[in-house]
Amino acid sequence: MWKIIVDVHAVWKDTRLIVLTAQIASIYAAILIPFKVGIPLIPGFAELRPANAIPVVTSLLFGPPAAWGSAIGNLIGDCFGTLGPASAFGFLGNFLYGSVPYLMWGRLGPFSSGREPLIHSWRQGLEFGIICIMASMVCAGVVAWGVEFLGLLPFSILAPAIFLNNVVMGLLLGPPLLLFLYPRVKRWNLRFEDIRQTFPHHDHSMKRWTPAPQTENLSAPHDNLSSMVEINHLNFQYAHTSRFALHDVSLRINRGELVALIGRSGSGKSTLCYTLNGLIPQFLPGIMTGSVYVNGMDTTHEPVWKQAETTGVVFQDFETQLISTNVEMELAYPLDQGNTLLSEEDRHTCIEQALELVSLTGLNRRDPLTLSGGQRQRLVIASMLVRNPSLLVLDQPMTDLDPAGRQEIMTLLYQLKQQGSTVILAEQDPEDLLHVDRIIVLDQGQVKWEGPPHTLWAQPALMKCYGLRPLPLAECFSGTTHSTLPATVEEAWKFVDAHHMKVETHPTHLQMTQRTPPIQPEQERNILRLENVGFAYTEEAPALQDVSITIQEGEYIAIIGRNGSGKSTFAKLLNGLLLPIKGQVLVEEMDTKTMPISQLARVVGYVFQNPDHQIFAESIWDEVAFGIRHVGYHPEAYTEQVIQALEAVGFDAQQERTVDPFSLTKGARQRVAVASVLAAKPKVLIIDEPNTGLDAEETTRLMEVIHHLHQAGHTIVLITHTMRIVAEYATRCLVMHKGQVLADGPTRSIFSDRSLIEAAGLDVPSVTQFSQRWGRTLLTVKEVQAALIARSYDE
Amino acid sequence: MSFSLYLDTNTWVHRLDGRTKIVCLLELFSVALLFSHPWYLLTLMSFVLMGMGAAKGMRNLQTMWVLLVLLFVYSMVLWPIFVNGQTPLLTIGNWVVSVEGLTHGMGMGLRLDVLVLSGMLFLTTTPIEDLSKSLQRFGLPPAIGFAISLAFRWVPTLLGSTTIIMQAQRSRGMDLASGGLLHKIRRYPPLVVPLIGHMLRQTNLLAMALESKGFGPSQPRMAYHAFSFQRQDYVALLSSNTLLGVSIWLNMHGYGTINIAF
Repeated sequence: MWKIIVDVHAVWKDTRLIVLTAQIASIYAAILIPFKVGIPLIPGFAELRPANAIPVVTSLLFGPPAAWGSAIGNLIGDCFGTLGPASAFGFLGNFLYGSVPYLMWGRLGPFSSGREPLIHSWRQGLEFGIICIMASMVCAGVVAWGVEFLGLLPFSILAPAIFLNNVVMGLLLGPPLLLFLYPRVKRWNLRFEDIRQTFPHHDHSMKRWTPAPQTENLSAPHDNLSSMVEINHLNFQYAHTSRFALHDVSLRINRGELVALIGRSGSGKSTLCYTLNGLIPQFLPGIMTGSVYVNGMDTTHEPVWKQAETTGVVFQDFETQLISTNVEMELAYPLDQGNTLLSEEDRHTCIEQALELVSLTGLNRRDPLTLSGGQRQRLVIASMLVRNPSLLVLDQPMTDLDPAGRQEIMTLLYQLKQQGSTVILAEQDPEDLLHVDRIIVLDQGQVKWEGPPHTLWAQPALMKCYGLRPLPLAECFSGTTHSTLPATVEEAWKFVDAHHMKVETHPTHLQMTQRTPPIQPEQERNILRLENVGFAYTEEAPALQDVSITIQEGEYIAIIGRNGSGKSTFAKLLNGLLLPIKGQVLVEEMDTKTMPISQLARVVGYVFQNPDHQIFAESIWDEVAFGIRHVGYHPEAYTEQVIQALEAVGFDAQQERTVDPFSLTKGARQRVAVASVLAAKPKVLIIDEPNTGLDAEETTRLMEVIHHLHQAGHTIVLITHTMRIVAEYATRCLVMHKGQVLADGPTRSIFSDRSLIEAAGLDVPSVTQFSQRWGRTLLTVKEVQAALIARSYDE
Repeated sequence: MSFSLYLDTNTWVHRLDGRTKIVCLLELFSVALLFSHPWYLLTLMSFVLMGMGAAKGMRNLQTMWVLLVLLFVYSMVLWPIFVNGQTPLLTIGNWVVSVEGLTHGMGMGLRLDVLVLSGMLFLTTTPIEDLSKSLQRFGLPPAIGFAISLAFRWVPTLLGSTTIIMQAQRSRGMDLASGGLLHKIRRYPPLVVPLIGHMLRQTNLLAMALESKGFGPSQPRMAYHAFSFQRQDYVALLSSNTLLGVSIWLNMHGYGTINIAF
């Protein structure tokens, strides 16, 4: 009994458990709305809804956080509608509903299977059944008794309804959900006992990290005045891994410096960032040696939340960092965490100053969810700056942003540097980092290169060796023997002049190296046709207006435009996810309104931006087979199609078929998603922002996969804001702006129209800008190189 | 996409201190539970509706009125079955619908509606952060208050993800609309597993982001501002207390309730 109380109380001692509790609560509350099966047992009180399996399942997965999570989730659900005195009994009932399974599993004497909460054997099934019935009874009893006590409904009406609902859903959904989720929870060490093992507060024999014996006497940094960060011989190895995530890293970063950390996925960028405010080793367990000092303070000992005053850390995913329902409260939160009590006026001044700094003045009352990506990330940065930290660390803050959003962030960072702030920025793509003070290249946990950006740009081969994408303009001149290479269009132009180079201007002499040949007129066959299509999510704002276009079989078409221009709406109309309000969408001359989605999926496949929004199966084989099963292929056709799809995206169909897709890297998960859509053999593949969060090598690999699919005859519709990819692969371009098609034509002619591109809020790749200086529209590095070389032959 | 009932306007109801609103809400609940007679509850309901008008919250009523009517009708149908009244109204077979049963049903329906409306008035005028902060001032541990506001904040985000997941699975050919109950339940794992999987992937990151923002479970209680009650708070509390006092007096003297037998 005592253990239960301690466990339940312990949830509030650890941030991860608090987060888990809030996550379970929000899932429980959120699932009630869209997944309603819609059979009201008692209106307003009980409905037959699948969400009621969540407390039982999460209780067996996570233990005490599930008890709190279910209780709070039920309360939150009430906060979206029917908050009343009965909510108190709902809270208690759900708390018990979420704790009984955890308490009873393995403690049922002869009825206990003595195994993990998975339903593989009949004994486990029996144990689960008993527990599910007991938990449902307790929950139903408490809630119905309370509601009768309040005189709202008789016990005999409500109790059976709740009991029936919980038991039916628990028994039907519990076993499959546990089968899918338990192994993953176990792998990610998120079971209650796993998290407790890393507790700092209770059990002092278990430490979060083990300092290895130090070989040399490391003293505190000697020069506090000029250096902000001082790292000495830092080694770090995550728990349960055999590889060093950081290996003998020594660094010094001066006050007022803007430093970029770059490297491929898994090179140790994030790990290094996490050491700067003590997340490593205090939060992520592992073995650490060496020392990290920030502003003269040892980061390994001071609690992380205290270090927030010195160091602000911004993460990649801004969704995870916004915690309030309006902008002002978002900024007030960090101020309330400090020990000093600010007066209302000072608070207001701090908030206004921070908003001004990130150019969000006047948006005080806005819900952060209604801001654009760039604005949200700037809000996160403001929430760090509001406490005036000495150091700002940003871990890949621009991954989820469009080019305009990225530009906003970089402008802000340069501005911060002007004001004397010290900023460390981890990034994958060097193209945005032209004006930083210093670049540090990490690979395999080691500092491989360090120096001013221009010196790095001049070594495209070296950059490739560390998995980085060379600057396109520098790469254009990489054949030359000069020690510095240009980074910007202006520099490239001067470079050509300074080295007396000439460029080929005659179009017939230009080698057009674009990868994909255009469709010949005689091969034309309409596969998708939109006629005067209009669509709107709400009555006020149309999302798409009067769009009429035709797509031929075998085309490679890119849909470009800023975020919110209607790209995704357009694409979702193509496979019937959305149906037009006006006009019609014809797939192989059939109206999407008349075709069932399963039939459409055989013609038009849609790969979503985030692979995690579709992956659920236990193995990549099952994941890929899921798509085929639903579009009505015969089971015997499965095997061959799954093998083909897996091999098309570069998996070994025999060796890797049982791999859990959850354990793969982002790039590999993206490939699984492509395969699972591909397996149904759709003629058209719509691919939404495929390169989000992938590094240079992963992007190239994925784009090559797509290129091969196109060559094999698939029609490709690519939604992207990476203009470089459009230039290299797509033959046709559709420019969207404010819900309308601004232009439609061959990529080269679209890119040659500067005013059009600017009107759409876009920018052509730097190599194209460069070639336009001499009156040509070249799309790729190879084309520019060819133009340069052609001329040198003449010389 | 906003599911929250909170309406960001600046009325005097909005400006009340969170603690005042919590006390008033609890007192409204108590008053509603003291009475079972329709007339008394109707009077109370008009007070709450007046408050709703003052808070410019009628927009929420437009979306919620179906639920209110449903609750009322359900109560009207259900209670007469359980209540044995002395005055029969009509007889259907063996079953007698009495005047008392019907009145009680009406009263309970109104009570339910008053409770829901009061809760709605509270949620229309109070952002979740204020609720959580006020509860903390009443002694709720900060970590629990924080978890409540976090969970509330994440619901719209999760609903967004849910919509995308449903679209992603539909575009792989999964038909979500047709089929019976069992079919619908069987389609549930491909929708819920990505949602929970996505959430688990973020657990560590979220916790790290929070600690980096200065949140620490072991940190001392956050500093509070001085008592900042305004005149309107005292007025609201005084009226609410008076209402409760009068109601208790009425209740003790036998007004506002109906005697029924089950």
